[in-house]
Amino acid sequence: MYQSKWRIFTNHTILILGALFMIMPVWIAFASSTHTREFIFQNGLQFWPGGHMIENYGAILFDPAATKGRVTALEMLFNSMVLGLGFAIGKVIISMMAAYAIVYFRFKLAVPLFWVIFSTLLLPLEVRIVPSYEVVANLGLLNSYTGLILPLIASATGTFFFRQFYRSVPDELLEAARLDGAGPVRFFIDILVPLSVTMIAAIFIIMFVVGWNQYLWPLLMTTDDQLYTIVIGIKQVYNSLYEGGQIPQFPKAFALTIMATIPPVLVVVIFQRMFIKGLVETEK
Amino acid sequence: MATVTLNQAEKTYPNGYKAIHGIDLAIKDGEFTVLVGPSGCGKSTLLRMIAGLESISAGEISIDDKVVNKVAPADRDIAMVFQNYALYPHMNNFDNMAYGLRNRGYSKTDIESKVREAARILQLEDHLERKPRQLSGGQRQRVAMGRAIVRQPKVFLFDEPLSNLDAKLRVDMRLEIKNLQQRLGITSVYVTHDQVEAMTLADRLIVMNGGVAEQIGTPIDIYEKPATKFVAGFIGSPAMNFLTAKVSDDCKHVIVGDGVMLDIDHDVAGGQAVTAGIRPEHLSLANNGDGHINAVVRMVESLGAETLVYLDFGSGADNVTLRLQGTHQFAKNDALSLTVQADKIHLFDIETGKRI
Repeated sequence: MYQSKWRIFTNHTILILGALFMIMPVWIAFASSTHTREFIFQNGLQFWPGGHMIENYGAILFDPAATKGRVTALEMLFNSMVLGLGFAIGKVIISMMAAYAIVYFRFKLAVPLFWVIFSTLLLPLEVRIVPSYEVVANLGLLNSYTGLILPLIASATGTFFFRQFYRSVPDELLEAARLDGAGPVRFFIDILVPLSVTMIAAIFIIMFVVGWNQYLWPLLMTTDDQLYTIVIGIKQVYNSLYEGGQIPQFPKAFALTIMATIPPVLVVVIFQRMFIKGLVETEK
Repeated sequence: MATVTLNQAEKTYPNGYKAIHGIDLAIKDGEFTVLVGPSGCGKSTLLRMIAGLESISAGEISIDDKVVNKVAPADRDIAMVFQNYALYPHMNNFDNMAYGLRNRGYSKTDIESKVREAARILQLEDHLERKPRQLSGGQRQRVAMGRAIVRQPKVFLFDEPLSNLDAKLRVDMRLEIKNLQQRLGITSVYVTHDQVEAMTLADRLIVMNGGVAEQIGTPIDIYEKPATKFVAGFIGSPAMNFLTAKVSDDCKHVIVGDGVMLDIDHDVAGGQAVTAGIRPEHLSLANNGDGHINAVVRMVESLGAETLVYLDFGSGADNVTLRLQGTHQFAKNDALSLTVQADKIHLFDIETGKRI
């Protein structure tokens, strides 16, 4: 399509302004995290980085006192990583298997069951959080990674996406595999899983970010500081800003925020390459 | 190596649709059998029943005298080539061929030698490390055949394997398949809707229509003595000319069109209404006025080696196709006079369509 110079200019202006609009708050948070707390308290948010980056980030990463709890940011990052990975991997595995059962096994309840699964989209975690908590508490899983992850890994969205994908796989592949002596498990592992790599990457990205950003559920589930995720940690640090007579720890709160955003960004950047590669070299 | 026997095999779908109506068939060892018919005639269903991909509703299918109705596809010792190849897209061609062997627990060295041997036969040696999508249609088709032959199965099943290829490649692959089958001597069942493929490949041809085997025989038998009007119209290209006709009272002629008398030597009752069938290649040009049939040119197709002439006959109700060797110049509305030999006329019952 022909584009005039004027048009290219306006397009880019809009894009650049939009990008700046998005990135600016993050930048200000980063810049402000590199000053001393006294400086921020006196001068407000900063646009240019200061000289205390290593000091602030070091303290928050390794010193439990800096986060006003008994847990360092490093440990919180680890907890978040466990939650994000467990959440994403669990969802991918469960929804792949559910979709496999629904698409490839002819049992009478396949269609109604699929719609039952699908209708759970109408019941987000917030709606069922009290009964879910009750169940997990009765199972004695409070303050454990299992309790944090397990109740969240059933995924209607994932099941739906995998179902749609499997339905587009030609039946002849299944038939050829049957003639080649592959049973249901072999077919799943040898044929379907490799074919779904792109789908797996896409769902993994989305689910990892969703899992990482979980707030309400970890907040309810974890009363032990040792299990705090970084998202909860941010909340804790901000809470503690106003407690006691000290000068608020704004730079450290900002540092924690910045650190909380890095892993999801990395996951998206890394997997997106794979995702696009998968889309380009389509395997079907 | 193996025989395949169908004994009143039937297929009824859960919705009550009967796709196959009791077919009896005995395929001899090493025989190349072709199932041919229009789409929806049940030929693919029948093949898939032999493969075990469709269940058998009634009757029996045996491979080597062993009833396989309840035997899983993988245990029937058959191999199948699909229309869309059905290669595993994420595996390279070596793995595509080796997959079935691996699942059957062959040793690594065995697999290696069998796949290399198949690749040699099919001239795929240079392509083993590539993935199917990097190959042309014909090469993919060969990989699919390689996947079938590495296992040295008792029976090969082909489900319209050439219909995704372009015309020239189709002819090449047709010859190659025939060649390969004869070399390996493996009993084969081949499904196609292309009657040229059917005629050229088959040791024995089964013409199917509406879930019934209309006729089973050698291609030439079927061409020369089609059992029904359907078979007569389906086998042969261009299709046989059909004329509504009446047997004369002396039983020596049929009367077609506006009272044209054609000699016949059939055993048939006088006065009976019949369908007379004449193949386009069995009509010949006569000197003006000497022929039996006088017809008017409607359209001419020159193919170089032969010329197809479409004619209106009699009062225009009947159309006749004429096939002539070489090139001929005709203009629209030219009047032609045609002759036909008595023994080249086929008569079919007007009600049942059966050969008389």
